[in-house]
Amino acid sequence: MPVDKMPVDEKKKLTHEIKNLIIEKLKITHITAEEVDDDTPLFGKDNPLGLDSIDAIEIVLALKEKYDVRLADQNLAREILVSVNTIADFLEKELKNQ
Amino acid sequence: MDKVIDFEHKMAAHCETGTLTALLNYNGLNITEPLVFGIANGIFFGYLDSSNFPFPTIIVRSRPGQVRENISKRLNVKLNKWRFKDPDKGESKLDELISKGIPTAAQVDFFYMTYMPDWQRVHINVHFINIIGKKDDKYIISDSYYPRKSELNSDMMRKARWAGGFMAPKGFMYYPDEIPENIDFKKPVIKGIKRACRNMISLPVPFVGVKGIYKFADKIKEWPSLVRDTDHLSHEIMKINILLEDQGTGGAGFRFMYATFLQQAAEILNNNNLLDLSKRMMENGDKWREISYFAAKIGKNRDLGNDRIEELSLLIKKRADEEKDFFKELRKAV
Repeated sequence: MPVDKMPVDEKKKLTHEIKNLIIEKLKITHITAEEVDDDTPLFGKDNPLGLDSIDAIEIVLALKEKYDVRLADQNLAREILVSVNTIADFLEKELKNQ
Repeated sequence: MDKVIDFEHKMAAHCETGTLTALLNYNGLNITEPLVFGIANGIFFGYLDSSNFPFPTIIVRSRPGQVRENISKRLNVKLNKWRFKDPDKGESKLDELISKGIPTAAQVDFFYMTYMPDWQRVHINVHFINIIGKKDDKYIISDSYYPRKSELNSDMMRKARWAGGFMAPKGFMYYPDEIPENIDFKKPVIKGIKRACRNMISLPVPFVGVKGIYKFADKIKEWPSLVRDTDHLSHEIMKINILLEDQGTGGAGFRFMYATFLQQAAEILNNNNLLDLSKRMMENGDKWREISYFAAKIGKNRDLGNDRIEELSLLIKKRADEEKDFFKELRKAV
C-alpha cells in the first residue's frame, strides 16, 4: 500500500520516525523534526538540513540498522533519498515484504 | 529519419550489465541483471599501483566488456559488434540499425549525457547506453542510470561516441543478433561461479582477487607517504567510497549484486548452500559499505592520522579474510 493510502496516523508516525532518525544520526542541531517538511528535498543546494553525499551513506546505514532494509544500489538510493516521504514510501513497501 | 522503437526502459545498478540485460530482455530472453553479472563472473578485486596510474586505485569488477563477452560465450548469444574510426560511417550504421527497428547498445563518454544532472557528469569513457530511436535529429536513449527515456542530439552523440583518451569508445556498438531458445542456465551459472572463485582465490597474481584485497589493506598504510598534502590524501581516501558505491557498482563494490545472483543461482541449481552463501555475501557487502562510509568520513573530516589509516587497513584486511573463506566455500558448493 503506498504511503498516500496509509492511515494518516501511521504515515505521520513513520515520517516522524524517519526525521528523528536522520536528525539523531547526523547530529543535526539547527533544525527540529517538526520543522522538516515531508516533501522538502533532503539533498541539493536548497535543502534546509544541509546534507551531503556522506550523510546519504550514513542515512543508508541507519535505515539498515533500524529497519533491516538495504538500499543496495546507488541509482535506487538517489530515487529514494529524495525526501522524507519517498523514504517512507520505500520503507512501507520493504517492511511489508519482510 | 524518424523512428522510435517500443522499448521498455528500466533503471539498473550498473550500465554495462543493465544495458545488456535490457537488450536480452527486449529480444525475448528472460534474465535479470544479477544473473547476467554472475554468469559472466563480474565479481572481482584488483589493487592497481602501476606507473600507468597517477595514484594507486582499486577495481571491484571484471574489465569493461568482459561481462558482454562472457555472456555471449556462455549463453551462446551471437552479438553483432562494430568499432569505427570514421564517425560518419559509425553514425550512418547506427541510423541504419535504428531505421530497421534494432535497439543498439553504444559505448560513450558519460560526460556528454546532458540529460543527467551536471554534478553527476564526469568523463568516463566506458559508459553504456541503449539507443532506441531517432526523431528530429535527436537520438532516443534508454540509459539505465536515468529514471526515464531521454534524448541526445546527434552532435553530442558524436562527441560521446568518439571521445578521446583512456579506453576511448571508438564508436563501439553492438546488439544481440541470435539468442538460443530455451536456455538452460544451470551450466552457465556453475561456470560463472567457478570462474569467479578462480579469479578471487586461485590466480597466481599478487594484486588480484583476495590477494589484491590483502595488498590494498597493506599498501594503504603507505598512502600518506605518496601524497602531496592532507588535501590530496583526503581526496584519495574519499575516492574509496566513490569506487565502492558510486560507479554503478550495485552497492558495496558489486557485493550486493553478487549476493542477489547467488540467491537466484540457488533456485536455478536447487542448492540451499548457495542461499546461505548469498546471505553471507550480503553481510560481507554491509561490511564493505562500512569501509566506504569510514573512508568517506575520515577523508571529509581530515581525520587522517596513522591510527585512522591503521583502522581502515584492518577493516579491509577483515574483508580479505572473509572473502578468502567465502570463495573457498562457494567453490565447494557447486
